[in-house]
Amino acid sequence: MRELVIRNLRGALTAVSDIVAEALPRLLAMAIIVLVGWAIAWVIEVILRRLLVLARFNRLFESKGVTRALSIAALPSPAEMISRIVFWIVWVSFILVGVNALGVVALQREVSAFVGLLPQFVVALLIIFFGFLAANFFSRAALLAAVNANSPSPRIVSGFVRFLILLLAITMALERVGLGRGVVLVAFAVSFGAIMMGLGIAFGLGGRHVARRILERRFAAGRERREEKDDEGSHL
Amino acid sequence: MSTTSAVPNVASKTSDSAADPLWYKDAVIYELHARAFNDSNGDGIGDFPGLLQKLDYVQDLGVTAIWLLPFYPSPLKDDGYDISDYTGINPAYGSLENFKELLEQAHRRNLRVITELVINHTSDQHPWFQEARSSRDNPRRNWYVWSDTDDRYRGVRIIFKDTELSNWAWDPISKSYYWHRFFSHQPDLNFDNPAVLEEIWKVMQFWSDMGVDGFRVDAVPYLVEREGTSCENLPETHEVVKFLRRQLNEKYPQSFLLAEANQWPADVRHYFGTGDEFHMAFHFPLMPRMFMAVKLEDRKPIMDILQQTPDIPENCQWGIFLRNHDELTLEMVTDEERDYMYDVYALDSGARLNLGIRRRLAPLMENDRRRLELMNGMLMSLPGSPVLYYGDEIGMGDNIFLGDRNGVRTPMQWSGSWNAGFSAADPERLYLPLLSNPVYGYQTVNVEAQRRSDHSLLSWMKRLIQVRKSSRAFSRGGIEFLQPRNHRVFAYIRQLGNDRVLVVNNLSRSAQAVELDLRAFEGYIPIEMFGGNPFPRIGRIPYLLTLGPYNFYWFRLRRL
Amino acid sequence: MAEETFLSDEFVSQLTAVGEVDILVGLPTFNNRDTVQRVVNAILVGLVKYYPRERSVLINPDGGSKDGTTEAVQAASIPDFRAVLASNPLRTMHVVSALYPGVQGENEALRMVFAAADLLGAKACALISPDLESATPEWIDALVRPVLKDTFDFVAPIYQRRRFEGLLVKNLLHPLIRAAYGYQLEEPVGREVAFSGRLASYFLGDESRRENFAGLGSHVWMTTAAMAAGYRLCQAFLGPRVTSSRRSALDLNTTIQEIAGALFRCMELHQSYWTSRQTLEEVPTFGFQPVLNLDPVRIDRRRMFQMFSSGVDDLGSVLEKILSAETLQAIKDTSKLDEKNFRFVDELWVKTVCEFAASYHHSVINRDHLLQSLTPLYRGRVSSFILENARAEAEEVERRLELLRHEYERLKPYLVESWNRQT
Repeated sequence: MRELVIRNLRGALTAVSDIVAEALPRLLAMAIIVLVGWAIAWVIEVILRRLLVLARFNRLFESKGVTRALSIAALPSPAEMISRIVFWIVWVSFILVGVNALGVVALQREVSAFVGLLPQFVVALLIIFFGFLAANFFSRAALLAAVNANSPSPRIVSGFVRFLILLLAITMALERVGLGRGVVLVAFAVSFGAIMMGLGIAFGLGGRHVARRILERRFAAGRERREEKDDEGSHL
Repeated sequence: MSTTSAVPNVASKTSDSAADPLWYKDAVIYELHARAFNDSNGDGIGDFPGLLQKLDYVQDLGVTAIWLLPFYPSPLKDDGYDISDYTGINPAYGSLENFKELLEQAHRRNLRVITELVINHTSDQHPWFQEARSSRDNPRRNWYVWSDTDDRYRGVRIIFKDTELSNWAWDPISKSYYWHRFFSHQPDLNFDNPAVLEEIWKVMQFWSDMGVDGFRVDAVPYLVEREGTSCENLPETHEVVKFLRRQLNEKYPQSFLLAEANQWPADVRHYFGTGDEFHMAFHFPLMPRMFMAVKLEDRKPIMDILQQTPDIPENCQWGIFLRNHDELTLEMVTDEERDYMYDVYALDSGARLNLGIRRRLAPLMENDRRRLELMNGMLMSLPGSPVLYYGDEIGMGDNIFLGDRNGVRTPMQWSGSWNAGFSAADPERLYLPLLSNPVYGYQTVNVEAQRRSDHSLLSWMKRLIQVRKSSRAFSRGGIEFLQPRNHRVFAYIRQLGNDRVLVVNNLSRSAQAVELDLRAFEGYIPIEMFGGNPFPRIGRIPYLLTLGPYNFYWFRLRRL
Repeated sequence: MAEETFLSDEFVSQLTAVGEVDILVGLPTFNNRDTVQRVVNAILVGLVKYYPRERSVLINPDGGSKDGTTEAVQAASIPDFRAVLASNPLRTMHVVSALYPGVQGENEALRMVFAAADLLGAKACALISPDLESATPEWIDALVRPVLKDTFDFVAPIYQRRRFEGLLVKNLLHPLIRAAYGYQLEEPVGREVAFSGRLASYFLGDESRRENFAGLGSHVWMTTAAMAAGYRLCQAFLGPRVTSSRRSALDLNTTIQEIAGALFRCMELHQSYWTSRQTLEEVPTFGFQPVLNLDPVRIDRRRMFQMFSSGVDDLGSVLEKILSAETLQAIKDTSKLDEKNFRFVDELWVKTVCEFAASYHHSVINRDHLLQSLTPLYRGRVSSFILENARAEAEEVERRLELLRHEYERLKPYLVESWNRQT
C-alpha cells in the first residue's frame, strides 16, 4: 500500500517533474522570447522615433490637420503614435510566438481565436474612438450654434447630440465584434424612438409657444426680420 | 482748259487725268511757297525760275498738284495774304512770264497748279482801297464795307484777338470806319456789291486763262456781313460761292475750288452745297486728332471725328493734311483736348501760337521715323486728297524762335552745301535763316543726302505716294471702320467697286496683336501693297495680325 | 510649383485688347443688378473727370450672377459725358466682364483682379463694391491718387461712421492690428481700397493668397499682407458708406468667424513679422473729413448682454480650453454682474482676444468652434461699450477707444508670450 502510494506518488512526481521538465524549457523559452521581443520592440521603437523626428515626420502632418486632430483628442504626436504602435505590434507578435512556443493546445486555440478576432476588435475600437471624436465635435458645434442662435438650453441640445452619436458608435462597435447583435440593435432602436417621441411630445406640449414663435419668425414679413437684424447693429 | 498760254499744257497731259473733271479727287497736293523753295538769282528769296529748276524734284516725288502760297504784290504784312494787286506777281518772285513758264513746265510734268484766291479782303495798299477811301463818293467806295459808327454788326467775334480790338477800323482820310475780320490793314471787300463779284470773277478768269488749275479760297465763311448775325457762314456767302462755281464750271470745267473753312465738319458740309459750291474743303478737325490718337495710343479721337463727318456729294472731296504753313490749329478741339495737345506736343510754351502749335511734323514726332511713317501712312489712306507741306517729305525741322509762323517757313534744304543749296546769296541775306542744328540742320536733313539712299524718308515717301496712287480706293473709295477690341489698332477698309484695301495702323509705341473681324471677306487673300507679298487667306475665324511699334499695313484684298 | 492657367481665354483676349493701363478698377459682382449701374457710372465718371489722360480699365469679375448683372455692367455707359462733366473722354473706355468660378468669398475675384493688374502693368488699382449706394466719382480719385501721384502702395478707406457702427473694427480689428502689426489703420477691412501695381503683383505671387478666406477675410489678408511685406500704406477719407446689400445684415456670428478668423490666420502667416515688431507707425490720411452727425445704429443692448451671460454659462467647458483659468474666471464673474452695472473692462477684453488668438494659433480646439465661442464674449463687450458710452460725446468715445488701443499695446508682450507658448 505504502509502496503503491510511494510508487504512485513517485510516478506522479515523475510525471509532474516530467511535465515541469518538459514545460520549463518551454516556459523559459517563452519568457526569453517575450523579453527579447520586448527588447527588440523597444529598440525598433527608439530607432523609429529618432528616424521620424529626424525626417520631420510631424511636419508632414501638420498641414493636413492630423496633428491638430490628435492633439484635440489628447493623443501624442504622429511620430510618437506610430513608434508606439509599432512597438506594441512587434511585442505582441513576440508574445504570441512565445505562447505558441509553450505548446499548450488549448492556449494555442485561444491565441488563434484571439488573432482571428483581433481585426474586428481593432475596428470596433477605432469606431468607438472616432465616435468619441465625432461626439465631441458635433456636440460642441451644436452647443455653439445653439448659444449663438440664442436658443434655450444649449447644453441639453449639446448633450443630446453627444449621447446620440455615442450611442450610434457603441452600437456599431458592438455589432462589429458580433456581441448580442439583436439585443444591441433593439436597444438602440428603442432608445432612439423614445427620444424622438419624447421630443415630439415635449415640443408639442411644453414648447407650443416656442414652436409658434419659431414658425412666426420664419414666415414673418421681411420687414420684421430686418428690424431684428438692425438690433444686432453693424459691426464692420 | 484755258485757251491762251495753256494750250500746250493740255496737249502734254496724259489723256486719263486730263480728261477727268474729277482729277482733284485723286490729287496728291504739294504745298509750297515760291519764296521758300529755290532762289535762282541769289537775292536770298526763292523765286519762280528757282522753282522751275526744282519741278523735276516735285514730279519725282509723285505728287500730282502744286499749291502755291500767295505770290502777289503785297506789303507782306500778313505773309502775302494782304494782296495789293490781284493780277500781278511780287517782283521778288519773278515776273508773269516766269509764272507762265512755270505753269507750262508743270503741266508738261502732269502737275496741276493751284493758287491762292484771297477774296475776303485786300491789303489797305490795294489801289481799290486807296480809291475807296479817297472820298465818300468815289465809285469804288462801295467796294468795301464802310460805316459812320463802329457799332454795326455787334457781337461778331474778333479772330485775331491778340492784335485787334474791333472789327472796325477808323479811316482818317474818309473819316469813317471800315470793316475787317482780320488785321486792320486788311479791309474786307463788299460782296453785296455785284461789281466786286464781277471783278473777282475777272481775276479768276485772268489766272485760269493763263493755265492755273484751281483756287484755294481763303477765309470763305466771312465774305458777307448781315446785321444781327455772327457774319459767318451766311446764306449770302453761299450765294457768292455758287455764283463763282457756276461761272467757273461753264468756262473752265476742269478747274476747281478748295475752301479754307476752319469749322466743324457739319458746318463745312454746307460749303459743298449740292455739289454746286466748293469741290474740296479742308478737314480741319481731323488733323489734331490724328496727332492726339498717336500720343494717346487710342483710335477713339479719329474714329469719333470721322463718324461725325457727314457724307459729301459725289463730286466733292475732303482735303486732308498733317501740317501746313500755319500753326497746327487747335480751334476745333475741346478745352480738355487742347490742354492735352499742348502738354504732349508743346511743353515748350514757345511752340504755342494763338490756338495752336507752330511746329513741323518731324519735331512733333520727335524725329521718330516710325511715327513719321505712320502719320503719313494714315494721311495717304484716310478719305480725302492729301496735302503735303514742303520739307515734310524729308523731315525738315523748325525754328520756333523766328516769331509768328516763320519757324515752319524756313528755306527748303536741298543739300549740305552753301545755304543748303537754296540760294547763292550771303547767308545773312536769306529771307529767313536756315536751320543749322545738329538734328534738323541742312547738313543733316537735305534732299541730296536722302536721294542717295533707298531707305531715306524721302525715298520712302515717294514709294508711299506711288502705292497710294496705285489704288483708286484710297482717293475715291468709301471707308468702313473695323472695330477690333484692341483700341490701339486703327483699321478700316477702303473700297471702290472691286478694289478693296484693308488698312491696319498700330497707334502704339509697342508691338500689338489684333484680331480683325473679316468674315465679310472670307476667302480673300490679303496682299501687302508695299512688298506685294500675299498673306494667309482670310477664313471664318478672326484674322490675327501682329504689328510692330507704329507699324501699319496696307493690304489689297483679292479674290483668287 | 507648376504655374497654373486660371484666366479664361476669353478674359485674356479681352485683356490683350485693353493693353497696358495706368488705372485698373476692380468691381467684383454677384447678383447686384439693382445697384451696379450706378456704381459703374460713378467709376467711369470718376475716371474721366479726374484721370482723363490715363489709360484705364474697369474689370468686373462676376460670380455667375443670374439676374443679369454683367449685362447691366456692360450696359452702364454714360450716354453723354458732356452733360455730366462738360468734357469728353479722350480715350476708349474699357469695361471687361468675366466669370470667376465659385461664389464663396471674393478670393477668386480678387485673384482675377490681381492677375489683370499684373498682366496689364497697371500702376494703380482700386476695388469698389457693387452694392454701394453712396459711391461718388470722387471715391475713385481719393483712392487712386495716393498711389498714382504719390508713392503709396496701399490705400485703405476711412468711412464716415454712424454712432456705434463698426464696433468689431473698433474693439478688435483696429486695435489688435495696430498693436500687432504696428500700423494705425482705421479701417483694416475697408471694402473700397486701392493698391499699386507692384503690390498687386506681390498679392498675386504670394503663397498665402491661396488661403481660403471666406467673405471679407481676403480684405483683412490684403491689408495685413501689405503691412507685413513693408509696403507704404495710407488712408483716404471717402465719406459715408451706404449699401443696399443684405450682406451688412449678415449675422454677427458669421462676421466674426470670417473677420476674426482671417485676422488670426493672417497673424499666423505673418508671425515672424509681427511678433518681433516694436514700432508703431502713423499712417498718413488724405481727404477732407467733414464733421457730420449721423443717426446712431440701433443695437439691442439688453439682448446682447443676456446672450453674453447665458453664453458664458453654457460654454464653460469650451471656453476653459481656450482661455486661461484666470481670464475665464474674470469673465464668469463679469457675466454674473447686474445688467445695468456690468463692465467688460478693457484689460479683460484685450486679454480675452489675445488668448483667443493664441489658442487659435495652437489649435486647441477646432478653429471654427473657437471663433464661434468668441461671439458671446464679443456681445458682452459690445453691450458694455454701449452702456459705457450711451451718453458720451464723440470725443469722449474716441478717448476711451484710445485707451483701449493702449491696452492692446500694453498687452502685446502677453500676446506674443501666449502665441509662442509651447503646448
